[in-house]
Amino acid sequence: MPLLDIKNLTLEIDAAGGWIKALDMVNLTIDSGEIRALVGESGSGKSLIVKAIVGAIPEHWRIRADRMTWKGRDLLTMSVAERRIIMRNDIAVVFQDPINSLDPSASLGQQLMESIPNQLLEKGWIWNRNQQRRQIATKLLHKVGIREAELCLRSYPHEIADDICQKFMIATALVSAPRLLIADDPTRGMEITTKTQILKLMTQLNKTRDLSILFVSHDLLAISSMADTMTVLYCGQTVESGKMTQLRKRPLHPYTKALLDSAPSFRKDLPPKSTLTSLNGSIPTFQHLPIGCRLGPRCPRAQKECVKVPNVRRIHEHYYSCHFPLHRDQQ
Amino acid sequence: MFRYIVRHFNLLVVTLFVLSLFSFSLAYLFPGDPLVNLSGETIQSEQHREVLIEKYRFNESVVLQYTRYIGLLFEGDWGLSKSSGLPLYDEIMHSLPASIELATYALLLSLIIGIPLGFLAGLKHHKATDYSLLAISVMGYSVPVFWMALLMILVFSLQLGWLPLSGRISLLFDVPHTSGFILLDIMLSDIKNKETAIVNALQHMVMPVLSITIVTSAIILRLTRRSVIEVMPKGFIQAAYTRGLSDYQVFMRHGMRNSLLPIIPLLAMQSTTLFTNAMIVEVIYSWPGIGDWLIQAIYQRDFPAIRAGMLAVSALVVLLTVSIDLFAKLIDPTRDKSAHVTI
Repeated sequence: MPLLDIKNLTLEIDAAGGWIKALDMVNLTIDSGEIRALVGESGSGKSLIVKAIVGAIPEHWRIRADRMTWKGRDLLTMSVAERRIIMRNDIAVVFQDPINSLDPSASLGQQLMESIPNQLLEKGWIWNRNQQRRQIATKLLHKVGIREAELCLRSYPHEIADDICQKFMIATALVSAPRLLIADDPTRGMEITTKTQILKLMTQLNKTRDLSILFVSHDLLAISSMADTMTVLYCGQTVESGKMTQLRKRPLHPYTKALLDSAPSFRKDLPPKSTLTSLNGSIPTFQHLPIGCRLGPRCPRAQKECVKVPNVRRIHEHYYSCHFPLHRDQQ
Repeated sequence: MFRYIVRHFNLLVVTLFVLSLFSFSLAYLFPGDPLVNLSGETIQSEQHREVLIEKYRFNESVVLQYTRYIGLLFEGDWGLSKSSGLPLYDEIMHSLPASIELATYALLLSLIIGIPLGFLAGLKHHKATDYSLLAISVMGYSVPVFWMALLMILVFSLQLGWLPLSGRISLLFDVPHTSGFILLDIMLSDIKNKETAIVNALQHMVMPVLSITIVTSAIILRLTRRSVIEVMPKGFIQAAYTRGLSDYQVFMRHGMRNSLLPIIPLLAMQSTTLFTNAMIVEVIYSWPGIGDWLIQAIYQRDFPAIRAGMLAVSALVVLLTVSIDLFAKLIDPTRDKSAHVTI
């Protein structure tokens, strides 16, 4: 049984012109010990999926799913308290911009220590416990690669550098020894050395702690180096998902192919100074979504049938939703 | 930190300088003889005039007159009141504590009422609780203080007879003036029936304090509510929720401090409104404070008293505003925006 299983998740947002399906029939599964990448352009709803999983969706938005379970327990119907316990013990999130996810008026130590669950502490008096918390916090910071741990614990968020902040966020996420780490674009705007450090850290955690990671990003290079499986999102619809190697070797959906082609570092046969391929047009805004397959207007292979939403088809572990997938030509 | 103290001290000194300059120029701006406006003494003879000219350096330039004026201010010689003939310094020091007392109780009460209700309204944003609290606060905010005070007199003292009509304490008690704060004075004094005196003083205090509190707590409620609404959707609150903290923990550990920090300077700005209201209320309830005293001075065209009273009240307000502002800066951990942890 997968850890997290989401089937046909639909999220409707109220906008000026009525209800808009920001997420439309999204499927996502995460197995134990797996690194799954969630890829898509900006505005394709990646962060919304993260928010839906952690339950940070505003109450008046409509959320529906055929199945949205954590270890077999339905996340949508359970009580707030039960969900909070799952969030406290099993799921941890690293948000997009670390600086804004930290309380500016509390020291980092306070914020890290408050998320240490009580069961990690040995029994003792209050002051003993505080000392234990401090020790655990220092150890954690060392583990994620922050050298001056004491200084870091004393500092306030505005006093530390961005990459330390990001590592700190990972430390806070790991404090409760979660089963799943959701990393929402953790390497955004970082230079290459820090980025590699953070990616290495995550892969290491995945291997040593059997930690599942949902890696949300649009950095294909980073994803291909660490992810086992990948789900491609376009405009709130999952277009294709499967094993990383398979997807890279033989994408079935035109969008996945376009996405892979647009990353020059993936193409060895690229002659110098040649134009890079990209899809025409740009991702539609949520106010002007096309009906049916949302890639329709931009798709080079679109035909009449594409105004209907394609069903999910599968070849072994490889899921795709397209009326005219790429392998049809080859037959 | 030192930087902030110096900066605020500068602000204080400059503002007080401008205020004193203005108060000095009032002596010339008011109708009548500037010498009389400064000293408050009626000039009886040429010799008397000579003495006053000598005292206020009126035979020298305006700049020297001003420095002399400042010197006298610091010596405590603020001139005489034209109506009572008593030294203004003593009169003001007699009535100012009464106003400070009234304003302090009203402020404390409004903080106790306004901040928790503001939290409640902000946390229940877009819900019935929020709307009803907002409606009540709009009502409290829009009712004029003097009218409210009169209505309260009408209902509680004239109709129901529960509370005394005016004054600070019943005339039966003879409390000697030591600090000027009535409750403190009663405790310090050695009169008989201290408990009854305190109860009596509190009874006198209820209506004046309440009529100021209604407006001030409505303002504080709205400020707090707005701040909570701005803070709660922020990223770090959402992040705290995803760490599995409960609503209560998230608010107590992250929401409250962050929503209170930005409104402390705004509260300092409200001290002006608070004092104005206190002065209006004093007149209605015959509370022997600076407001009552100033209004009397205005009625009697007592120019030296108006000049000195204005200076005292505005200096107090400036001092209060600047020190609250400084306090807000000092407790804000984000004030020094410089990094000290590097890779």
